[in-house]
Amino acid sequence: MAILSLIDVKKSFGITEIIRGVSLDIVEGEKHAIIGPNGAGKSTLFHLISGRYNVSAGSIHFKEQQIENKPPYEIARMGLARSFQVTNIFQRMSVFENIRCALFWSKGYGYSFWHLLGKQTELNDEAMHVLEQIGLADRAKFPSGELAYAELRALELGVAIASGSELIMLDEPVAGMSHSEAQNAVELIRKITEGKTLIMVEHDMNIVFDVADRISVLVYGEIIATDEPKNIRANSKVQEAYLGEVPSA
Amino acid sequence: MALLKKSSIWIAFLVALLGLPLLFDSILAISILNQMAIGIVFALSYNMLLGQGGMLSFGHAVYFGLGGFLSVHALMLIEYETMVFSILWIPLIGGLFGLLAGIFIGSFSTRKAGTVFAMISLGIGELIAASSLIFSSFFGGEAGISGDRTFGPTFFGFDFAQNIEIYYVAAVWAFIATLFMWLFTQTPAGRMANAVRDNPERAEFIGYSSRKVRFISFCASGMFAGIAGGLFALNYEFITEENLNAATSGRVLLMAYIGGLGYFIGPIIGAVVLTLMNSLLSNYSELWMLYLGIMFLLTVMFLPRGFAGFIMMHQVAWVRGNMKMLIKPYIITGIPALLFTACAIVLIEMSHTDDEVFHYLGLALNPASPITWIVILAIAGGAFYATKRSLIQLNDAWETANAIPKEEEA
Repeated sequence: MAILSLIDVKKSFGITEIIRGVSLDIVEGEKHAIIGPNGAGKSTLFHLISGRYNVSAGSIHFKEQQIENKPPYEIARMGLARSFQVTNIFQRMSVFENIRCALFWSKGYGYSFWHLLGKQTELNDEAMHVLEQIGLADRAKFPSGELAYAELRALELGVAIASGSELIMLDEPVAGMSHSEAQNAVELIRKITEGKTLIMVEHDMNIVFDVADRISVLVYGEIIATDEPKNIRANSKVQEAYLGEVPSA
Repeated sequence: MALLKKSSIWIAFLVALLGLPLLFDSILAISILNQMAIGIVFALSYNMLLGQGGMLSFGHAVYFGLGGFLSVHALMLIEYETMVFSILWIPLIGGLFGLLAGIFIGSFSTRKAGTVFAMISLGIGELIAASSLIFSSFFGGEAGISGDRTFGPTFFGFDFAQNIEIYYVAAVWAFIATLFMWLFTQTPAGRMANAVRDNPERAEFIGYSSRKVRFISFCASGMFAGIAGGLFALNYEFITEENLNAATSGRVLLMAYIGGLGYFIGPIIGAVVLTLMNSLLSNYSELWMLYLGIMFLLTVMFLPRGFAGFIMMHQVAWVRGNMKMLIKPYIITGIPALLFTACAIVLIEMSHTDDEVFHYLGLALNPASPITWIVILAIAGGAFYATKRSLIQLNDAWETANAIPKEEEA
């Protein structure tokens, strides 16, 4: 069953058409990777799904509800979480506070100004639990703006997954990491997305072929193929799009 | 015991508020203490916007002033016995109208933060200040409006005619308001205000409308500014257009900024320092506004985190027990720095004075003689040079005091 469906989604900025009619079904529980050359519109597609941009045409359904052109916070409340390519956290707050803020809505606090956070034992324990999962428990009180790069990326992931959303979208989660850091990050991603649906944009083909159940190839705003990794590797259109380069595994 | 330890700082704050008039009991001191209590609430309410919510407002006096005007009207209603209640509750009326004004203006001004918000706040500030001169039946025109706080029912025999009596009212209200503003920072809405300040975009992706988060802070801030306005009305028994115009908005920004935006205690320090400068310095020099401006500039340039930030900078050295390493270098730098400041002040004052003999620090100086100027300039130059030189060793001492001990490094 499709948890997320895109039907002929288009997006233009002025006269430039960035997304030129994308239709895509994401099956519940799958790990789906979106790959494609630079400027293909991968991040734009993420922004359209998560509500940062409005679509120019077409529709997007999440859990059988229309979500296109809804504000990001409404989409997030439905259980769709995302991370960002460029780290996008609350830099003047502590690591712990970042995670706790990400938990507020799903724990039902809303805009409350009558709950004292010191007394919310369950919430605070949950935030510590997430910190342990992402390996930042010993950094809880650290100002998040002063973390090392790999730790920042882990926090970025933590803020996205803390609320326990069913669909998690990761935009280049290992970009800029060393090989060993990337390996750790992949393990982390596997662990925290277990039993959930994952959509990720990633340039590192080793990781894509390692993690993904299915891959979609986006080229100049159009999806030219959606298939299992082994078929994608053999697909001649995909090879052509990568300028004769076979995506190496 | 744990509760006692946690609340010890609050008990100390309350004791300080209530005990200060026992130490300083002159008429001037009580008047200054009253202004401090008002300033603390006002500056803290401003920091809910700027320090905690990332909203730079140039029109915060609107909520202070509207709260104050409504409070004076309430005093008049009590006076004419239209309503009968103790004037103790007047700040609540100020707070209620600050809140209503916040809800109304916040409904459109919190749409965006940054420049848009700042410009709207400036526009609203000018609009309300101008209207207050036009609608003179409510605002009393340039003369403002006045009331009398002694008409309401007495409270255990107190009729609040004395300033000291009203100080205790103000102190208790200031304590309550401060406590509630601190508690607000400990709630989900308070924490999300920080999150939206840091990154309004990401806040939306964890389920929060940045606009609504800003709106809540904005309303709360308006309410506490209104309470401060109510305290002002009780203290002075009159209020004019000056109390809601841009100058007052600017002053509260200065208080919060000089005190330190990043710390809850910052605006409290700022309110105390600025009130003291305002009341005491103005007795000594007509140029006190100039000194205030210079102090603001120096704070922005050298202490961007304010006085509170300067104090907190020493946390590491304090925890490591290295404060004594800093005392000597501070004195060595402090003496020429003070001398330079003294020279700068005398130069500024001499160029301003019309007197033939200028008395300063027990000296009788002749402003007309070039020799006086040359000597003072020379001392100032020497002091400046000495300060600059001594900064090197202060810097070294600072590095040593804050250095990570060897065993911790590993």
